[in-house]
Amino acid sequence: MTVLPFPSFLDDVKEKGLKRAVFEGVNEVTERVTAGMNLQDIREALRGEAPSRKPNPRLTPHADGFWLHMRPSYFNREVTGLYPTFRLGWLSTYFVFFETITGMFLMIYYTPSPEVAYENMLNILSNVPLGQFVRDLHRLGAEAMVLIVTLHMLRTFLTASYKRPRGFTWATGVVLLLATLFLSFSGYLLPWDQLALWAVTIGASMAEAVPPEIVGTNVNLLLRGGPEIGANGLLRFYLLHVLAVPALLFVFTGVHYYKVIIHGHSLPPKAENIGEDTAKRVPLDKRVYFIPDILTSEIMWIGVTTFILVVLCTWFYHAPLEAHADPQVTPLGTTAPWYFLWIQGALKLGDKTFWGVIFPGLVFTFLIFLPYIDTGVSRRFAHRRFMLTLGFLLMSATVVLSYMGLPEFGVATAAEQAVLHELTMSPAHNHMGKLLPVPYEQLPVGAYTTRQIEAGPEEAAAAVAAFNEELEATGLGATLLQELQQTHKLDIASLRFSTVPADAPELYKVLEFFEHELDAHEAELRNAVGMLVITQNQPNLKRIDALIMWNPVEEETADETLQNAAQTGEAEQPFRIFAQHIFIHADSNYFAAPGA
Amino acid sequence: MFQRLLIEKMEHRIIVGTLSFLGIMVLTGWIAINEGGRMRSFERQFLARSIERGGQLFAANCSECHGLDGRGLTGAAPALNNPQLFGHDYLAPIRAEMEQLQAEREIEGLDEARAAEIDARLQELQAERDAFLAQIQPAIDKGYDPDQPSRLQQVGWGGPQDAFIYTTLVHGRPTSISYWPRPMAAWSQTAGGPLRNDQIQDLVNYIQNWDKGDNWTVEDLLAVNQFAKVPGEGGGAVAEGEEPAGDDVQAIVAALENITGDPVNGQSLYSAQGCAGCHAGGIVGPATEGTWTRIEEERLQDPALAGYTALEYAVESIVHPNQYIVPGFSATMPTYFGERLTVQQIGDLIAYLQSQDQPAE
Repeated sequence: MTVLPFPSFLDDVKEKGLKRAVFEGVNEVTERVTAGMNLQDIREALRGEAPSRKPNPRLTPHADGFWLHMRPSYFNREVTGLYPTFRLGWLSTYFVFFETITGMFLMIYYTPSPEVAYENMLNILSNVPLGQFVRDLHRLGAEAMVLIVTLHMLRTFLTASYKRPRGFTWATGVVLLLATLFLSFSGYLLPWDQLALWAVTIGASMAEAVPPEIVGTNVNLLLRGGPEIGANGLLRFYLLHVLAVPALLFVFTGVHYYKVIIHGHSLPPKAENIGEDTAKRVPLDKRVYFIPDILTSEIMWIGVTTFILVVLCTWFYHAPLEAHADPQVTPLGTTAPWYFLWIQGALKLGDKTFWGVIFPGLVFTFLIFLPYIDTGVSRRFAHRRFMLTLGFLLMSATVVLSYMGLPEFGVATAAEQAVLHELTMSPAHNHMGKLLPVPYEQLPVGAYTTRQIEAGPEEAAAAVAAFNEELEATGLGATLLQELQQTHKLDIASLRFSTVPADAPELYKVLEFFEHELDAHEAELRNAVGMLVITQNQPNLKRIDALIMWNPVEEETADETLQNAAQTGEAEQPFRIFAQHIFIHADSNYFAAPGA
Repeated sequence: MFQRLLIEKMEHRIIVGTLSFLGIMVLTGWIAINEGGRMRSFERQFLARSIERGGQLFAANCSECHGLDGRGLTGAAPALNNPQLFGHDYLAPIRAEMEQLQAEREIEGLDEARAAEIDARLQELQAERDAFLAQIQPAIDKGYDPDQPSRLQQVGWGGPQDAFIYTTLVHGRPTSISYWPRPMAAWSQTAGGPLRNDQIQDLVNYIQNWDKGDNWTVEDLLAVNQFAKVPGEGGGAVAEGEEPAGDDVQAIVAALENITGDPVNGQSLYSAQGCAGCHAGGIVGPATEGTWTRIEEERLQDPALAGYTALEYAVESIVHPNQYIVPGFSATMPTYFGERLTVQQIGDLIAYLQSQDQPAE
């Protein structure tokens, strides 16, 4: 007797017994969820057996289900190995989803306002469990995505997969590359630190150079939300980053993948005859079915890739966060993100409008139209000597231009500034001043000089004593003291140099580095002496003043000045002094970046 | 090898995939377990670096008035590296015991032996207190009140101490012009100043890093150059029952004829009224040294001052400072000295200025 007016599970139990009724219930639910595969089918698939019933249940999820409707039900064995795809297209898609998921977690803790954005970062780092971890994943994923998408394009170029009929697929791919670059770049601004502000200021100023002037000015205004980047600019970049560009990216990912499926995955060039495209005609013996082979493979790759990212973010990578954005303070050696270094390098060649806007514009236009320019039918390497040569030339040019984009190349910095910057710079670009990671207890209060290093370990004490005498005899000591007290507001009554104590080997290394740098800039900094003055500012806070004292050289008349100096004698020479100071707290824990 | 291991065999894929997911979960769990410690260490590290930045900002912006060591500059601005700011009460143990004993002494029917014991102890404590007060007499002379050891209570601040410093930095002290030569400006951009609020917070962290908690020593108190003043007390030197000098230059000059100035008292007025804050070294106002010579040899040669005597000029400069501005300076001197000083005190100040008349080299 049934309680309910329709046949229910209870009737089943009565009729077949509990075990069998439960099994059949689960089996049925599984078949519905997978749109066609019951438990037995899944078991067979995972064991690598042939399907035991007809029609083939492994094809119905593609035909009837939503999730697999866009995936092909079988692939050509030629494209399932590592070569020719290297899984780069799949990895790009993986990162789209990976970045979306990690990004949504970060959105919960972020407000796009200059007032609080940086505080949000600190909150994520100090007060949100797993906050740092997710931020690291998101940032590392972004860098990896740029790399992977670029490599994917490179691979497609090398195997000539952009040729007929896949021209449009390639063009949408270039749009995806641009979207990826812009997503990564707009993400730079959001933490509102110095790195963010200056990288984006450089980027947005390129928009300003778009000709004609009225367009450039207005594009720049629209992007920044004002003449300077501020609250409006941050909000705009944020909305572009989380709404507009992702929307574009998803749409184009759809179009791109649709085109891939329509034309089939292109085979290795040698696998088909010249001018033929046989991707859609897969012989029976070459078919690799999506279920189970490709599906398990993809799930495995999700695991492996995520695992690699997690390992990197556990031990090897932390997303950088620099000091709070400050439009008044331009950091020395500001660079664009690494993937835009080639543009920054090109800018050093000359005109901002040409090299900063027209040149990259031409490069990307050329990339988009490449399939319609290079219309040769053969995909064989031997028949594409011209295009491959051109490709490698472009790659070499990119490497060279990227190198030229580094601050080391062609940016004139006064030698004394460059040297002290190497000692005192706050952490930026995985790099920090040599003084920062010196352990607090290895910063004994006192004054130290590179004369000690110059003289070598045996003569050190004598050299320092001689230096003290020299300072006193020439009156330079008083000048130095006055400079420190008045210009640099250092609270000291006297200045007397001593040798670095034996229990401060790290400080000694810094002094050695200081001497080495001064040597390297011998030409600009003649007779230079480096000095470090360490004082106790608060009970757990030390102040380090780094100074350089040298004879200035007139650039053009260097020889003459030297001769004059020789004639008039040492005492008459005017000295120049340059100094900078930093504070080091006992708990600051600066660690040298690996490999620095 | 890679191809065979990862791609070709289903079993390998399942094993590698399962191990990867397991690895992800183990590592994420491991990170999660360590999050508490990591977040704490980040906070400690961030505070440390904030204090470093605060040090830079203090040296660049604050040390000119508050001193490089934060101990204040006499007549210019109060000390921040100062037990009073952090409310350290040196007398707390003595005061507590005295109050307790006095309460016990009040009880009726206390047996006499105990009463005598209490009296003896009270005397002891009083002696201890007097000895301590004698020890810190120099600080008391500079304005320290041992029975009002907390600056926050002195100004009636109800919030926490860091908020007091933060607010002062953000908004400045608009009224401080009435007791300091240069008022504390608003430093935050929200109040029209030059610094961002995170920089203000860095400064607060740096200033609070001076706090020694219970370990403040008498030496720390004695090292303070300038204590804070109580707002609203005006800071004038006119005692009760005395007449302020007023602002009539001629009348003051006439009254000064019968008065002999005391340069020693003049000197103490000179620092107590904050003159030294601007005029020492001649940075904000003309230098103290050599004033009289300059008045006679340079100022009185100015056609604008035709007919003035040196004394007239000096008196006018004190009670009407903006009447004539020495070239190279601006009209920043307060105009209230006529109401804050007696004629005698103006005479003392002028006598002090005359005594400082060795021109600066």
